Amino acid sequence: MADHKKHIILMVSDFFYPNFGGVENHIYYLSQCLLKLGHKVVVMTHAYGNRTGVRYMTGGLKVYYVPWRPFLMQNTLPTFYGTLPIIRTILIREKISLVHGHQAFSTLCHEALMHARTMGYKVVFTDHSLYGFADVGSIHMNKVLQFTLADVSQAICVSHTSKENTVLRSGLPPEKVFVIPNAVDTAMFKPGPERPLGNEIVIVVISRLVYRKGADLLVEVIPEVCHLYPNVRFVVGGDGPKRVRLEEMREKHSLQDRVEMLGAVPHARVQSVLISGHIFLNSSLTEAFCIAILEAASCGLLTVSTRVGGVPEVLPDDMIVLAEPDPGDMVLAIRKAISLLPKIDPQVMHERMKKLYTWHDVAKRTEIVYNRALKCPNQNLLERLSRYLSCGAWAGKLFCLVMIIDVLLLRLVQLWQPEEDIEEVPEFTVSNNHQD
Amino acid sequence: MVMDFNNSEISSPPRPRWRKVAYGGMQPGFDDNNTDDSFLEDMVMNASVVKRDLLKVMQDSVSISQYLCIVALVGLVWTYTLQSILDENSLLLLDVSLLGSGFIVLLLTKEMVSLNLLFHYILNISFFTTGLYVLAPIYHTLTKSISSDSIWAVTVSLIILHLFLHDYSGSTIRAPGAIKPPNLTSCVSLNASVVASVFIASRLPSRLLVFAIMLFSLQVFLFAPFVTFCIKKYSFRLYLLFSFGLVVVTLSFVYMLHHLLFALLLALLVFVSVVCPYWLIKIQEYKFEINGPWDEAKLCFDITD
Repeated sequence: MADHKKHIILMVSDFFYPNFGGVENHIYYLSQCLLKLGHKVVVMTHAYGNRTGVRYMTGGLKVYYVPWRPFLMQNTLPTFYGTLPIIRTILIREKISLVHGHQAFSTLCHEALMHARTMGYKVVFTDHSLYGFADVGSIHMNKVLQFTLADVSQAICVSHTSKENTVLRSGLPPEKVFVIPNAVDTAMFKPGPERPLGNEIVIVVISRLVYRKGADLLVEVIPEVCHLYPNVRFVVGGDGPKRVRLEEMREKHSLQDRVEMLGAVPHARVQSVLISGHIFLNSSLTEAFCIAILEAASCGLLTVSTRVGGVPEVLPDDMIVLAEPDPGDMVLAIRKAISLLPKIDPQVMHERMKKLYTWHDVAKRTEIVYNRALKCPNQNLLERLSRYLSCGAWAGKLFCLVMIIDVLLLRLVQLWQPEEDIEEVPEFTVSNNHQD
Repeated sequence: MVMDFNNSEISSPPRPRWRKVAYGGMQPGFDDNNTDDSFLEDMVMNASVVKRDLLKVMQDSVSISQYLCIVALVGLVWTYTLQSILDENSLLLLDVSLLGSGFIVLLLTKEMVSLNLLFHYILNISFFTTGLYVLAPIYHTLTKSISSDSIWAVTVSLIILHLFLHDYSGSTIRAPGAIKPPNLTSCVSLNASVVASVFIASRLPSRLLVFAIMLFSLQVFLFAPFVTFCIKKYSFRLYLLFSFGLVVVTLSFVYMLHHLLFALLLALLVFVSVVCPYWLIKIQEYKFEINGPWDEAKLCFDITD
């Protein structure tokens, strides 16, 4: 374990602040902790609104907002080669030693990993989502993933279920795939000073109200539970196309005074919503990891969740009640949770969460993966092409063609803008006193 | 299971077992890329694959070859009318006899036939026929300025489109016993056939001929799937017999018209009812379905928006 080399890491994803979600959170906290470990981290994402150019965040985290416009669901238009010059410039300018891409949906991530491999950098990829194998969209995504992962040095998944999924989708050997979960900022998600008093039990739901998050299950479960327990109240935070259905349900069963709809909750306010409740309800139909459960548990809430994807791995059995994604079973699980509730002490739960999950631990484990990736032997173009060729009868040849064109384009860019002409960033350290 | 996870410092002599959990940091003694026997143990392969047998698939393909023959017969009538072999009277006779036989089939195969329903049908059909008769002069002059070759080309492509999109499993107009309402593709298919009939009709010399041929084509395209659907529901054996008879009649008529077309149709029918089923069975063994905990859960109730 003599690997105390300092790395210069480029994190690439379409998803970063000011956008908000699990991936954005992961990149930010991981980068912060890596900075604390002494590495240098640079983030690359696409422009958000008029936020383009270079920005510095807390702790000297440098963010490149590349001037490419998102065209669909915060994704940039896939151009294959359009991003090559700027990625090359950033890689050389920042003296990057390793590229780390996040999220399979992100086109920017796929392109950056491809160009980085062509330029001979070691790359690591983190997969944050689960995918099936049956529909057209998944088949397409799986091929794209196979292309990116064919040549990736190491891959990381957020749960064991996600690892199984990624190995099946990409044909990567399982030894190359690491499981490093997300974590939670326990300092931010603290339980309230005292529990909400009284006889009332508050069940909190915070999720986007869309089909995949199981909003339709909520429509069935909420009236049932309200009928069974007159002292239960629901607080639903989040917005989405299914919000109308929930509001219809509320009116149909005249539960206006017992189901509170908050609309979209900004992340800074999530904690204050969470501590107003006793039970956290997650009704997702698919979930690779689910950070929301961690945040709730860290606030001392007992979680009731559907048994899907990686959720069963997330918490010890005595901190979560799992149910099949079926309204009847979920009502049973809520009954069980309500009976367990007197035994739950939010402070104790919070202390346990502090030991179970820290971003510092995540960063340390990621560092090990980086060291492994850097130890991978260098490969010449022919060896790499043969790997692509084995990806499929037609796809393999197509992938090879894409890679060969990339190599040629790189040569062209090298002629057009020689490496010596690109200015390297000067070394400087940010003082550690947080003033902003 | 006891949940003591903070014993990473206290290394107990028996090596702790690796657990498939994400909490508690790195598990002592195991790397993060540890893969044990439990890897992929929840994967299910080919869970919902239906085993098909050749006979069943061939029986199912009968409805396709039967409908191909119906369309071929319509094409024959069109050709004979354009060549003036069939005149107005014989065409009208054909219309009436088709309508009559269709009604008889409906009466015989339906369990519940009320006088009311019959009256309803007759009223609808008389409206339909009157409308068509009134519109016949318009169809007559519709494509005067277009050459016959283009009309034939468009008609043939429309008929091919019709055959590709036709819903062979049900009937185009909603039969009382049909499970689901017709979908978009079958509607497109029906419209393609109607447009094709209008184009052909517009090439004919007299208004009465236009009316007769339109009535004939629409009767077949609208009601033939319905009638065959009724026969199929009534008795599958009868349906097979009917289809076989239809195939023989069609082949003999096409043989009289043109030998090359006969060979083509025969090859098509063999392909549809023998080669394709065999092929389907053959490629079934390559079927590979993967299911596991990563799949999106299916809701067990209907969402009514």
